[in-house]
Amino acid sequence: MTSAEQIKIENVTFKYPGGEEPVLNDVSLTINKGEFVAIIGGNGSGKSTLCKLINGLIPHYYVGDFTGSATVKELNTEETKVADLSQHVGYVYQDFDNQLVRARVLEDASFAPLNFGYADYKDRGKRALELAGLTGHDDEFIWQLSGGQKHLLALAGAISLDPDILIMDEPIAQLDPFHAKEIYNVLKMLNEEYGKTIIVIEHHTEFIADYCKQVVLMDKGNVLWKKPTADALRLVDQLMERQIFPPQVTQAAYKLDAFSNKSIPITLQEALEIFPNQKYVEEVAVHGPTNNLERACLRPVVEMEQVSFAYKTITRSKKTVLNGIDLNINQGDRIALVGNNGAGKSSLMRLITGLVKPERGNVTVKGKNTRDYSPEKLADFVTYIYQNPEEMFIEDSVRKDVEFFLKARKIPEYGKKVDRILEQFELTSLQERDSRLMSGGQQRRASLAIGVAMNPSIILLDEPTANLDIATRKHITRLIGTLEDNVEAVLVATHDMQLVAEWANRIIVLKDGNVLHDGTRESVFNDRELLNSAGLNPPQIMELSRELYMSPVSYTVDDFVATVNKQFGEENSDGIQTKII
Amino acid sequence: MEYRQKLFDKLSVEQVKIELLNTAYGNDQTFLAKLDPRTLFIWYLFFGFAPWFIHNQAILIGMFAFVAVMMLIAKSSPLIIFILCLGLLGQGGYLLLAAWFFGGDFSTIMPLVILTMKLSIISLASISVFTSMDPEKLSDGLLKIGVPGQVSFSISYAYRMLPSLIEEYHHVFLSFRLRGKAPEKHGILYWRSIAYFVKIAMLSFYPLMLSTSKRARTTVEALETKGSFYAFNNPKVKAIKLAHLAFRSRDYWFLAFSLVYVISLFVFGILYFK
Repeated sequence: MTSAEQIKIENVTFKYPGGEEPVLNDVSLTINKGEFVAIIGGNGSGKSTLCKLINGLIPHYYVGDFTGSATVKELNTEETKVADLSQHVGYVYQDFDNQLVRARVLEDASFAPLNFGYADYKDRGKRALELAGLTGHDDEFIWQLSGGQKHLLALAGAISLDPDILIMDEPIAQLDPFHAKEIYNVLKMLNEEYGKTIIVIEHHTEFIADYCKQVVLMDKGNVLWKKPTADALRLVDQLMERQIFPPQVTQAAYKLDAFSNKSIPITLQEALEIFPNQKYVEEVAVHGPTNNLERACLRPVVEMEQVSFAYKTITRSKKTVLNGIDLNINQGDRIALVGNNGAGKSSLMRLITGLVKPERGNVTVKGKNTRDYSPEKLADFVTYIYQNPEEMFIEDSVRKDVEFFLKARKIPEYGKKVDRILEQFELTSLQERDSRLMSGGQQRRASLAIGVAMNPSIILLDEPTANLDIATRKHITRLIGTLEDNVEAVLVATHDMQLVAEWANRIIVLKDGNVLHDGTRESVFNDRELLNSAGLNPPQIMELSRELYMSPVSYTVDDFVATVNKQFGEENSDGIQTKII
Repeated sequence: MEYRQKLFDKLSVEQVKIELLNTAYGNDQTFLAKLDPRTLFIWYLFFGFAPWFIHNQAILIGMFAFVAVMMLIAKSSPLIIFILCLGLLGQGGYLLLAAWFFGGDFSTIMPLVILTMKLSIISLASISVFTSMDPEKLSDGLLKIGVPGQVSFSISYAYRMLPSLIEEYHHVFLSFRLRGKAPEKHGILYWRSIAYFVKIAMLSFYPLMLSTSKRARTTVEALETKGSFYAFNNPKVKAIKLAHLAFRSRDYWFLAFSLVYVISLFVFGILYFK
């Protein structure tokens, strides 16, 4: 082992007792000091298991058949205690909330240094908080923190022992783009200024392209390769085959088939340098869904007038979340509700369900004022699908959960309907399983099935694509597309701008409890100022097409490719040029 | 309608969470909260147990006055005081009614009043002490007097988890409401609606238990990596952790005052109220 080699895994195979397939299958991998590595791979490819091998939880905590050897900073993990390894390896979990064990911020950040008997444990905790960028909250309770702040606290806890290696499992799955960048900038600083080795498990290839230096691809418990980021992301075929989607600019360049492999761009900046900066003008004026707002007759299904909402905080003071909202939701609306964490998206949805009543103003759903009706009554028209599917599972099997609503209302022959819905959401073979024990994507499908079984007029979806890998995300987007046939209006709260761009026909931008904008995707994505003030990041392909002065702007990779091809087709007929480069 | 809404506001799961957390952590600026946990243990040892063995009414009244003042100083949550009063009045009132109904007179009622008085002293003392110690302080205090690290950690951890658990319970409860069917008619005295709510309130615990056991895995792994199992009973760690505990002059003054008060009370009670 050379001094640069910090982690060396040699021929490790690991199988859980009673498991049929090994979760790690003859894995060999070397990670050097100061690298910033992204581990990618489909669900169940062994990414988390590999990381738990590095901090010693495997084989100490998870006992199974273990062969091969893993060395971290010249310590053999099999012979070293987890507690000793944790002085060298920090770990931030995907469900980081459960990793916070003390009540107050500083107590939690200094918990590990205290346990290891450092007399200056508080200073160490403070320093870690400072590095993570979470200052000024030392004496706050962790339940007063926002999701993003909790994440930073978990990060501070992991680096409190000043380890040389930091592992983060899906660092940005639940964050809006602004907070996602914040986390990655912290990681970048730790990597560049403090020379720490950073390992992330990441699905968002656009972040990998911007921040990571190396990429490790895993498949079925194997490490297929480790390559520099640019080389790795250009292997579009190999990635797509495993349902990993490279950055949109990379996909576009690949599909155009006009570049040599070496010159395929992986970041927006590179793409701008390589695509000719000229006007691609297309004649068609209207692109994508037509503007529903301008339709002659609008039939509102939900009306909100001057609605304000506040809730009581732990300190018994009131916090206003929505501030005089005036809004109609009309038949045929496919609304994307966007805005940063804490803008009031979930509160707005919960008001429509009748679970909470407005402080001032009225919410009317299908002519019924929610003040006068219980949520059970409103559930006849409205379905609310939680951000966290687990909170919707109230029975012990998928089937029972899906049929709960129908059974409670004694709908005749509900069994057939349930069969049909299970089929539609590809849950037939899983119907007897406990929903809580399924994968993230399966859980999400189950929660959608539960919602659809309620036969609603209005469906409210809270962050339906959060926490999913990109492939599952696409699948869910497709399923959401099929909902429209049966319902009058769909309202989706989301940070996923690709979903917004591809699906919505109306976008409502919330900020600090106010409606900042209400209009079509064109009106939102072409308004630079609006995007900035609401903290929205348009899809990468859109940014590219706008920077290239394409008109109209492309919202999807396919749009972009079609526009460019058409342009070249025309140029070809003039006999100008066939290939860029 | 209006009143019902207001009542529901007070009884909501959210409200219960807020009150619980405020009781546990809210009062760290009161005089009692600034005392060393050991001082409070000693104080409680007397006021929490001695009333059982005292039958002198004057002494009991004096002790009651003392703990009542302490409770005011401790700034206990109004909800807790309300529940306490409800319990005591219910208990006392029921005994009074029973005694009167079976032909008892003042002499039958008197011992019952004394019993209620004893119970009140103990309850008030408990409330004052436990509102003045947040779970961290309680667990540090217990650790200091020799309770194993696992136990004292569990206490503070349980409180850290409490808000998350209540929140999750709330979500599950609302899931039942969002998909269930409430009775069409409320029934006499709302009994149908009450039965419906009680039923889902109980059913909501099952999903909670399952998801909690799932979350616990990450927590245990995190504890392992943060070295807690190694630290629980390590004397060095214990010393660093408890270094902030110290008897200060206010502890001595408080104990001395209590002692003087109790002695004078006994002298006065024994001499003048036999």
